[in-house]
Amino acid sequence: MSDLDRQIEQLKRCEPLKESEVKALCLKAMEILVEESNVQRVDAPVTICGDIHGQFYDMKELFRVGGDCPKTNYLFLGDFVDRGFYSVETFLLLLALKVRYPDRITLIRGNHESRQITQVYGFYDECLRKYGSANVWRYCTDVFDYLSLSALIENKIFSVHGGLSPAISTLDQIRTIDRKQEVPHDGAMCDLLWSDPEDIVEGWGLSPRGAGFLFGGSVVSSFNHANNIDYICRAHQLVMEGYKWMFNNQIVTVWSAPNYCYRCGNVAAILELDENLEKQFRVFDAAPQESRGTPAKKPAPDYFL
Amino acid sequence: MGVQEKSLASCNSMQRVKVYQLNDEGKWDDHGTGHVTVDYYERSEDPALYVLDEENETLLMHRISSDDIYRKQEDSIISWRDSEYATELALSFQETSGCSYIWEHICNVQRNMHFSNLNNDTFHSSNSEMSELPLVELSTLPLIHKTIVESGIADQIRFTDLILNDQEFFRKLMELFRMCEDLENMEGLHVIFRVVKAIILLNSPQIFEKIFGDELIMDIIGSLEYDPDIPQVQHHRKFLKEHVVFKEAIPIKDPSVLSKIHQTYRVGYLKDVVLARMLDEATVANLNSIIHSNNAIVVSLLKDDSTFIQEMFARLKSPTTSPESKKNLVYFLYDFCSLSKSLQMVQQLRLFRDLVSEGIFDIIAEALQSQDNRLVLTGTDILILFLNQDPNLLRSYVIRPEGISLMGLLVKGMVTDFGDDMHCQFLEILRSLLDSYTLSGAQRDSIIEIFYEKHLGHLIEVIVASCPPDTVEGTKSWGNTKPEILLNICDLLCFCVIHHPYRIKCNFLLNNVIDKVLLLMRRKEKYLVVAAVRFIRTVLSRHDEHIISHIIRNGLLKPIVDAFVRNGHRYNLFNSAVLELFEYIRKENLKSLIRYIVDTFWTDLAQFEDLVGIQSLKVKYEQYQENGGTKVPNNVTDPRKRVDVRALEKEEEDYFNEESDEEDTASASLPPPRKKQQGQPTLSNGIAKAYQSLSPRTGGLVDYDDDEDEEGYTPPPRRQVGTPDDEEDSLRLKRKLASKDKESDLSKRQRLNKNPKSKDSVFAALCSTLSQAVLPGKKAASIINRSPKAGSGEGNKSSSEQNHKDGDDSVSRGGSDDSASDEEREKPPGSPRGCLESAQSMSDGRQLGSEDSASLVPPNSSPEMAVNGS
Repeated sequence: MSDLDRQIEQLKRCEPLKESEVKALCLKAMEILVEESNVQRVDAPVTICGDIHGQFYDMKELFRVGGDCPKTNYLFLGDFVDRGFYSVETFLLLLALKVRYPDRITLIRGNHESRQITQVYGFYDECLRKYGSANVWRYCTDVFDYLSLSALIENKIFSVHGGLSPAISTLDQIRTIDRKQEVPHDGAMCDLLWSDPEDIVEGWGLSPRGAGFLFGGSVVSSFNHANNIDYICRAHQLVMEGYKWMFNNQIVTVWSAPNYCYRCGNVAAILELDENLEKQFRVFDAAPQESRGTPAKKPAPDYFL
Repeated sequence: MGVQEKSLASCNSMQRVKVYQLNDEGKWDDHGTGHVTVDYYERSEDPALYVLDEENETLLMHRISSDDIYRKQEDSIISWRDSEYATELALSFQETSGCSYIWEHICNVQRNMHFSNLNNDTFHSSNSEMSELPLVELSTLPLIHKTIVESGIADQIRFTDLILNDQEFFRKLMELFRMCEDLENMEGLHVIFRVVKAIILLNSPQIFEKIFGDELIMDIIGSLEYDPDIPQVQHHRKFLKEHVVFKEAIPIKDPSVLSKIHQTYRVGYLKDVVLARMLDEATVANLNSIIHSNNAIVVSLLKDDSTFIQEMFARLKSPTTSPESKKNLVYFLYDFCSLSKSLQMVQQLRLFRDLVSEGIFDIIAEALQSQDNRLVLTGTDILILFLNQDPNLLRSYVIRPEGISLMGLLVKGMVTDFGDDMHCQFLEILRSLLDSYTLSGAQRDSIIEIFYEKHLGHLIEVIVASCPPDTVEGTKSWGNTKPEILLNICDLLCFCVIHHPYRIKCNFLLNNVIDKVLLLMRRKEKYLVVAAVRFIRTVLSRHDEHIISHIIRNGLLKPIVDAFVRNGHRYNLFNSAVLELFEYIRKENLKSLIRYIVDTFWTDLAQFEDLVGIQSLKVKYEQYQENGGTKVPNNVTDPRKRVDVRALEKEEEDYFNEESDEEDTASASLPPPRKKQQGQPTLSNGIAKAYQSLSPRTGGLVDYDDDEDEEGYTPPPRRQVGTPDDEEDSLRLKRKLASKDKESDLSKRQRLNKNPKSKDSVFAALCSTLSQAVLPGKKAASIINRSPKAGSGEGNKSSSEQNHKDGDDSVSRGGSDDSASDEEREKPPGSPRGCLESAQSMSDGRQLGSEDSASLVPPNSSPEMAVNGS
């Protein structure tokens, strides 16, 4: 068994890797991700997953429902980290799978894959707690900079974490973004990761999130028409039923963190597309309590103070 | 209440009373006869006595008091001093049974007021037995559990008081626990687990104080090993007793300090391991604050123990101390400094100053020379703690003679192969030291001086030595330096470009730094190739005419274009980065570069004309051609004077650009609650910054320029391109929506602030251009004549190499002028310290409670606090 396979097995048990392993993994991942495009082409069949947010055991549930990684192709729409207890294990497992099966799993960037956001919502603290220094966080956030910004499935389904941007009317325009940077506070790259569709908005509206925009049905229609795509698949917003269509089936939100923050009581969903792009949503609940091990954040076994 | 009414109605005659009131003369006035009931007072939850007469008129309404004011006389009279009526009142009952019935009621109500009332059915007498804690027995535990879990907040508070008032409660509970454990009574253990968990979730600091005391804490942890939801029993006590090692680098004599240290570890263990999944945010916050204040107590007791600190440093410095115990002392020192974050800012700063004067940096310098990676990295971690507290502590050390070697050790560490270990700390420390936004005065000059004179060259050499000599791309690894180290160097160089534009200008031009960094284009690792493009992109964002003409003259874009062509139509990060570079050049209207690119490379680039970015570059080029050369200032053909003026304007422009850069960066560095990582975001922001010049304001300017150039130019090709127009429109919209007010306000203020200075700065810029110009010539007389020529670097390469040594000298001279002007210009608009302090206070706030942090979250993420904003 190769080191990588062993690491994947270890991560599947929710045991974090050593710092040195994280470093090697991140460097390999960078080499792979740097070859990907801002709009990464993805073939069907593929299963699309929304936010995970460090809910490791719920992600295992996701794989149980959706099938194991190399057997099923996956597209993850970002927000792997923050909020849950296992951001480190969650992200490293996905990254290890990416390095092991680069053509079988696609990871794109969410607004939480950012230095600023992770310092506020938990990933930074988790790294500090689990490794005693911020080095792992630094390596992981460096990898975030290389993550692709969106995906295009069989030229028909545009997938992105947040939504559309007023600066982007054609997919070609996304090509001229040098994505290797911290998520900016505005501009196309920011909007793709931060925007939300909103029923009551005609055209573009101010986002209450303070970054990105709200966009209405007409924006989606003209974008889909201009780029000859069937619909947009995105994540970024909690939907209690796991998924939600809007604007006459022109955009769908997929949410994959059941019982979000361990208390929202929502179900989660993934979207399975077969080779003919036939859709099937699979809805699932949070992993049962028994299947969760004790949190693997044991403090260092020795202390001075 | 309904039950009440019914039961009272059924005993009508017993409730007949006469109401008396004591008058001023001390006599009882009869206020009439009626029926007395106990009911809720005016729809509140407070029980009251009501006396209604035959017509249902209220004779008396009295809220039952919890005070001991009621007296029962002769079995038929109840009297009290009524505060609302401000006199004595009395009820005289027709029947003694009625009197005792109401008396009972009053007593019940009072009891319920004193103790918790568990079903919110406040004075229902059937609940009165719950108003005191039941005996702690196995049989009563389920009831206790139910009581805590199911009652409302007010009742939980009362219950908490009950537990706290009962000295025996926990002792008895833990006795039960030990008994159940001995008998392996799992059912009992599960109940006890639930009770203890529920009590912890009451989140009472007083209860925590009690159960985390030395006497109880291990049993409490023991009882939490039996989670009914987890099939296997946990072994927390075993771990704490057998695996955890408390290490003493220096013996701590004070038993209270020792007890706090152990308690802190155990509470942390409870929080992070035992209870991790059960705790709510409020409880976590309370546990954190226990840990926080324990840390503060421990650190301040130790720091105030002067013998302790002295002994520590004596041992660290003594040649007879074994390497092993020195190592432990450094690890201890790290923990000590790290925990001092729990002190107040002022105290921590004082402590750090004391440690500096005890010679902590000498000790770290020694540690950095160790062969033991962990020791070296611990040393760097300590330095980072100091930089986070106040970067000037370390800065003023590294510019002193005894400290000068430390900078060298840091640079060396950055380019040293640490094997599998991560060593990002070195880059971070260097960035903090060199951060122009927090540097000031003479210190700043010295540090930048030292770095550029002694160390930058070394970093460049590492790059050169790591790249293959010819232009063959994709060969196998070259040199021994790990790619991640090269990446770090490249990041640091980008940082320097942003922070020391003038210093970098001299240095880069004289030493062909740009050319050398571009050697990275030959590396096989694509992320290094991309990093090289990013470096050029960052350099271009300075808008420096001299550097641009240097790039053109030396054909520096060739490796980039070549690699772009080789990459073909593959759409990857490199492809996007180059397209973005071209886009930037086009939008910023860097005419000489556009001409250079199209003139030199069009035969290669033509095959990519289907890409909008490439096509519009050509369109732009053609616009210039149509407008003719005369209108376009051209470095080569224009009269020299003109260049000079132009350069000056440019400097001035840059000045404003730069200021706004800083403003943005300053505000960008505010939101993250930690300043530790400031380096990275700043760099990224610097780059992002450059992108922002794509945004409407500058976009608009470019557009305007375009229009000017476009006179008499037919629009079709542009319409063909189409998209930029849309883009700009929509961006404008965005601008309007998002930040119009703030933006204009900001820039207004900025201009108000900066205008008075602009003359000075132009002068400074002029000086710097001049001093720059002097370099190759060295003769004052030649300055004016030669400056444009030299400034634009027309001197041929070999002569500049011949002058190299001289040049180096003059760099140091010119350099100090230069950095003086840097200082003038690069000072951020707000006080950087203030900025950092608020960042610090944020992180403090965060430790105390998540609510605090909610308001401190950067504006673009505040909705994140709402659970459905993900």
